[in-house]
Amino acid sequence: MAAVAATAAAKGNGGGGGRAGAGDASGTRKKKGPGPLATAYLVIYNVVMTAGWLVIAVGLVRAYLAKGSYHSLYYSIEKPLKFFQTGALLEILHCAIGIVPSSVVLTSFQVMSRVFLIWAVTHSVKESEDSVLLFVIAWTITEIIRYSFYTFSLLNHLPYLIKWARYTLFIVLYPMGVSGELLTIYAALPFVRQAGLYSISLPNKYNFSFDYYAFLILIMISYIPIFPQLYFHMIHQRRKILSHTEEHKKFE
Amino acid sequence: MKHYERDDSSRNQSSLWHSSDSSLLKGGDSGRKDKGEAVFLGQELTSLRLCFPQVEPHATIAEIKNLFTKTHPQWYPARQSLRLDPKGKSLKDEDVLQKLPVGTTATLYFRDLGAQISWVTVFLTEYAGPLFIYLLFYFRVPFIYGHKYDFTSSRHTVVHLACICHSFHYIKRLLETLFVHRFSHGTMPLRNIFKNCTYYWGFAAWMAYYINHPLYTPPTYGAQQVKLALAIFVICQLGNFSIHMALRDLRPAGSKTRKIPYPTKNPFTWLFLLVSCPNYTYEVGSWIGFAIMTQCLPVALFSLVGFTQMTIWAKGKHRSYLKEFRDYPPLRMPIIPFLL
Repeated sequence: MAAVAATAAAKGNGGGGGRAGAGDASGTRKKKGPGPLATAYLVIYNVVMTAGWLVIAVGLVRAYLAKGSYHSLYYSIEKPLKFFQTGALLEILHCAIGIVPSSVVLTSFQVMSRVFLIWAVTHSVKESEDSVLLFVIAWTITEIIRYSFYTFSLLNHLPYLIKWARYTLFIVLYPMGVSGELLTIYAALPFVRQAGLYSISLPNKYNFSFDYYAFLILIMISYIPIFPQLYFHMIHQRRKILSHTEEHKKFE
Repeated sequence: MKHYERDDSSRNQSSLWHSSDSSLLKGGDSGRKDKGEAVFLGQELTSLRLCFPQVEPHATIAEIKNLFTKTHPQWYPARQSLRLDPKGKSLKDEDVLQKLPVGTTATLYFRDLGAQISWVTVFLTEYAGPLFIYLLFYFRVPFIYGHKYDFTSSRHTVVHLACICHSFHYIKRLLETLFVHRFSHGTMPLRNIFKNCTYYWGFAAWMAYYINHPLYTPPTYGAQQVKLALAIFVICQLGNFSIHMALRDLRPAGSKTRKIPYPTKNPFTWLFLLVSCPNYTYEVGSWIGFAIMTQCLPVALFSLVGFTQMTIWAKGKHRSYLKEFRDYPPLRMPIIPFLL
């Protein structure tokens, strides 16, 4: 869910905004893009994010080559992962102030679900770190492509390869990421129950209770309706955008 | 149903053509209907021309809607949005054909608003739920708490008081819906009833669960806190009722007129001096009182969510007052005096 939701509906980070040449999802409507200052800022933001996720990717490869196994690769990129994934919270701000034409609600949902997984599950429950690799790899590849897509769109020069990658690789990466996320949450469950993590029980003076274990199970269940919707939305987008470009190419 | 027949010699007749977007034929795009945007499907637009010959110039939109329902019975009048421009505003039922900017032939665009349900039905359902649900928890009906607590009673006075307040609040709302409120719109989209009931019923169950729980902890400052909170609650309930009565008296029965509300002899209505929607102000106050009285976090959260929603409504109402009335009192804020 968090894995591709970021790819899915967000036309964000200036990618869809403005220059119709980008031919993105909202494509045909000529919209007023962000001003020059905002565009410059967004280009810098997207370049920095692309670089950040590249750092994570390189870090993973190097750690694997050094250790020869998949074990504990997470620790080698833990800090940049937390930093850059949390940094994505800025994207909510971008939508809120209008320099990016995406819905604040949708973007919040996507980013918060990623941040939740990083901090409230992986960071909080050390024992859940083994299955983390699956979604970290999916996120890394997805984000590198996504942020470079936005960068190029803002600069009005989007190579077809990047567009293709963004709208094709998700077919594998999305299920991969979702599996990783679900496995990680599942792995965290027994430890949450045992430690009573983030939970409060009666009696207490606020007359309130919260069971984090039950909450995590609810989250896992919520993937069932949400994942297919986002996945098929992306498939639909893919058909629309990639065939659209093919047609344009035919007439050139 | 009226028939508009005139002899052919009359030249003041207008014929009425309806063209519609393809929602007529495809059942419409329900996703965007609720936002009131015109579903203009571009190349997929097909039009269906209906001719209503010999409609009198002084026919109202309401009468035209009735004519339309005759030929398309699945679109009852409440579901129809007729407009002069596919992207324009809906015409009102009271609008008269000859007063609109049309010639002898009028083209109206139709949009299906989706299944509708009356406001009264929605209100009654969404308020009856919390009343009933809270009592299930209060009486500790089986399968909520442990079996040893079935049908037991709390030993805390505040719990009984809370039940009385909560029940009173919703009985008041039901009675006001039946006897006090005068609604400007007859219906709302059917989808709303599910959304609204989930909200009201869900929160009622959540609050009631904790307040009536065997392990409930009474307020930290004891009877003092309860008495103060109860006073706030009662005052705000009276205030809210006073405002509802004042608003009702502004509008004669069966009409849809709008006037600026002003303070009356009732001191509770003096809040109109400072606020456009004192009914919402008092409502928030009631729930804050209830939250303090029960010292229950879910109640505080419910108050917060309600406050957020009511602020949005108050701001909207305030804005439309300002637009409609040049002489609107400048001191008034939407919901919180001087602040919001």
